[in-house]
Amino acid sequence: MDRVIATVIGIVVAVGVSAIVFVGANKLFDLAPRRWSIFSTLIGGASSLAIFGLLWGNRLIDQPVTVTAIATVVGALTGYALSRTSDQNAHLAIGAVAGVLLGVLAGASIKPQWRPGIDAIALVLSVVLFLAVGVGIRSLRNTNSNMLRPVLLWGSIGWIIGAFLYPDLGTGTVAWTVIASVFAGGLLGGWVGTFPLPDQMMKRDIAVGSRKFIFLIPALAFISMTLVIPLIRTIWLSLLTGLPKELTWTGLSNYVDIVTDPTIIDFSDWTDVFTSRLFIGGIVVLIIGLVVARISGKRTGERLGLNGGSLAAISAGFILVAFAVFASVRGTISNNLWWIFAVTIFSTGAGLAIAVMSDRSKGENVAKSFIFMPMAISFVGAGIIWRFMFVARPPTKDQTGVLNAIWVKIGVWSNSTTATTVIVIILSLIILGLIYIAFRGRQAGNISVAAGSVVIALPLVWIIYKFLGPGLGGYEVFEGEVFAKPILFLTESPFNNFWMMVVLIWIQTGFAMVILSAAIKGVPADLLEAASIDGATESQKFWRITVPQIGPTIGVVVTTLIVTVLKVFDIPKVMTNGNFDTQVLANEMWQRAFTELDFGLGSALAAIIFFAVVPVMWRNIRQMQDQRAST
Amino acid sequence: MTTTKPPETSYGIGETKQLTGRVASLLGQIPTWVLWFFVVVWTIPTLGLFINSFRTRDAQRNSGWWMFWQDGANGYGSLTLDNYSDVLGTSATGGLANGLLNSMAIAVVATILPIAIAAFAAYAFAWIDFKGRDTLFIATVALLAVPSQVALIPLLQMYAGGAHLTLPLIDKTITVFPDLGLAGTIPAVWLTHTGFALPFAIFLLHNYISGLPRDLFESARIDGADHFTIFRKLVLPLSIPVLAAFTIFQFLWTWNDYLIALTMIGGNRQALPATVVIASLAGEFGRLEHLLTAGAFVITVVPLVVFFALQRFFVRGITAGSVKG
Repeated sequence: MDRVIATVIGIVVAVGVSAIVFVGANKLFDLAPRRWSIFSTLIGGASSLAIFGLLWGNRLIDQPVTVTAIATVVGALTGYALSRTSDQNAHLAIGAVAGVLLGVLAGASIKPQWRPGIDAIALVLSVVLFLAVGVGIRSLRNTNSNMLRPVLLWGSIGWIIGAFLYPDLGTGTVAWTVIASVFAGGLLGGWVGTFPLPDQMMKRDIAVGSRKFIFLIPALAFISMTLVIPLIRTIWLSLLTGLPKELTWTGLSNYVDIVTDPTIIDFSDWTDVFTSRLFIGGIVVLIIGLVVARISGKRTGERLGLNGGSLAAISAGFILVAFAVFASVRGTISNNLWWIFAVTIFSTGAGLAIAVMSDRSKGENVAKSFIFMPMAISFVGAGIIWRFMFVARPPTKDQTGVLNAIWVKIGVWSNSTTATTVIVIILSLIILGLIYIAFRGRQAGNISVAAGSVVIALPLVWIIYKFLGPGLGGYEVFEGEVFAKPILFLTESPFNNFWMMVVLIWIQTGFAMVILSAAIKGVPADLLEAASIDGATESQKFWRITVPQIGPTIGVVVTTLIVTVLKVFDIPKVMTNGNFDTQVLANEMWQRAFTELDFGLGSALAAIIFFAVVPVMWRNIRQMQDQRAST
Repeated sequence: MTTTKPPETSYGIGETKQLTGRVASLLGQIPTWVLWFFVVVWTIPTLGLFINSFRTRDAQRNSGWWMFWQDGANGYGSLTLDNYSDVLGTSATGGLANGLLNSMAIAVVATILPIAIAAFAAYAFAWIDFKGRDTLFIATVALLAVPSQVALIPLLQMYAGGAHLTLPLIDKTITVFPDLGLAGTIPAVWLTHTGFALPFAIFLLHNYISGLPRDLFESARIDGADHFTIFRKLVLPLSIPVLAAFTIFQFLWTWNDYLIALTMIGGNRQALPATVVIASLAGEFGRLEHLLTAGAFVITVVPLVVFFALQRFFVRGITAGSVKG
């Protein structure tokens, strides 16, 4: 119970403090035009608080609470005093006195180990150097202006660097520390005192002009702290090596290690690709697709007639060939490319198919929300859900995973004459139906229906062949007896990679579907109507109007999926933890960095993930610039 | 059957005719059947987990979940709620109940903080004019594709030991971010989530807020309202739909997060959220595997309820341009 209370208190404090700071800042600057003296008092106090808070945060001063409180009061009084007089010389005097006071306070409370030694040459050099820079800049920008302000500001910067930052710390005396900080404070306070006296116009400008900072600084500070600076630092760390506390420069050797590591990229078996059944099958399907395309192209007078049927065969062949390549070139990077390829193609393809099929059909919203549901489930949850789908139990036991249960069942049917007969008859009837449709389609001149039916019939023919010939499904004949042979979905390399991709495809299809569905509904209705009047078929309308219209949206879906896949970590972590040849970059990075504590190599892997995303970022930026230019 | 001849085609893709009659109507049915086939396939994995979570250890191990309705030891006789009470109890899993509390603590704060911060920034980017606004906005939003992996190591270093900058030439170190001992605590996860969420939040809210009618702002300004008043009295009430969309998106994102909690909290078992507890249970592959079904369903049920109850906002949040990194 106390954990709940602690949590609630934490929440209230976090939210409350941010709200108070924000509302307070806005109210504070609201005061500027109307109540200048109050505004000036509060700003004075806040500035001192900030400076002494910085010293406090760096653990530089003794008794930080008292010292900071006194400094805040001094600052507030200074602000008040400055607001009560409108004499420029009085301002200079008040500022300088306050600076001296704060300097004494700071100098006297700096801890002994931080007291600076005296290095006169460095001090003089530093002051002269910064004065020259400041005065130089000012005279270049505006030749006949008052030189007092740049002298005070740049003089104080030079002084602080020469007196505090350059010399050795911990060797100085109290006296010199106080003198040094009195000079620094006096110069800075004098600079504050030389601000031009504000008129009503300027007070309003302060109130209005400060808003953008108040509104933006929290966001920009957070983004810099958690994204920009860590990003730069990661790239820097990727050039170092060693234990976390003692990293040393090593140049690009982490990257060289990655590229030459056989677990990360391994071409040694790439020639296997030419003998793999997947590759040969893929080539065959590809050729069939091209032939179908050529035949339908002849009818329409194009070189290649791309319609549902031919495109399905061509892309299926292409996917099979690509899978064959990914299955023979092994290693983390190959796995990642495989993930990108498979998840992007299947999620976009299935999402598009579902979006088209559900468009204006009965129960569209119900169907879509069931497909979209996995988007709400965590990757951890999804990984566990699918682990139960992929269970493989010993051959003598019942299969408890859905997929293996089906696979083994098919194997049983394949060994029973009755079941084989029934299945072959059913499939033959379907094929006959498809042939009839193809024939009718050809007669009606609708090539895409004809080609589609032929292409759908082909795998059915293949299944009949498997049932009659070598057999299909999860079984194995050993000494005349038939045993179940489940697929080891998660442990059998290389295709265990693909089964894990299925999980992400299951999740991301809903995403692709929702976005593409919205885009399809945005295709102008009069375009489609005009095409119907001109006698275009449904499939012609789809390929010639809908697809070009939603092209940019497909681009958005694909780039989003690429970024998602590059970061995929939870699914491999939960399902195999990178074992059995299923490592991906994000998991490799995590293991190297946080299990083996090799920050250099981990950073290099993280940097590689980042570099892979840069083209996507570039594309987003260009798109936003175009949008801005057009509005 | 007859084929009716369509009007002369001027569509430029040669001679085409429509299929009609029974064949066409049969073909027209196919998409609907395929669609519902997809729906069944997409639902089976979750349904299987849900049913299995109510079955005893033996039943889960020895028979598929689809046997639950049959007679016998592995059938409906095996249905039980024990998995849920076991997995929520502290003994077996290191405390999923505690993990759920932590998940809630992480998700609530990591949702409120980015909304508040991003709403101001989005307003400034949309309605306050200043030099370099567009560049700054594009730079901010470009960051939303940055994968969180690139920030993990430096952030963990910062939480564990503060951030220190060593000045060049003079070789002195100043502390930029003090060592607050945040590593292994929930606030570290809050800060990380907040920062990572901001580019997307700003992008999403900016799209909406910049689309509000300009007249509204001009008349308010003529009435003497300043930016803060306009923001509070006009923009916030009008932006409720997009704020709701982002709230749901971010709540689910942080509730479902595994990577950031695992990295930032690590070994501090007391502070681990439910996803990490369940994932470590999954990593053990053994004795308690039967509790995994109930555990996975428990962490899934919150997002599912949110999803089905507030689907409209959720889909809007996702589709508004989620290229989040």
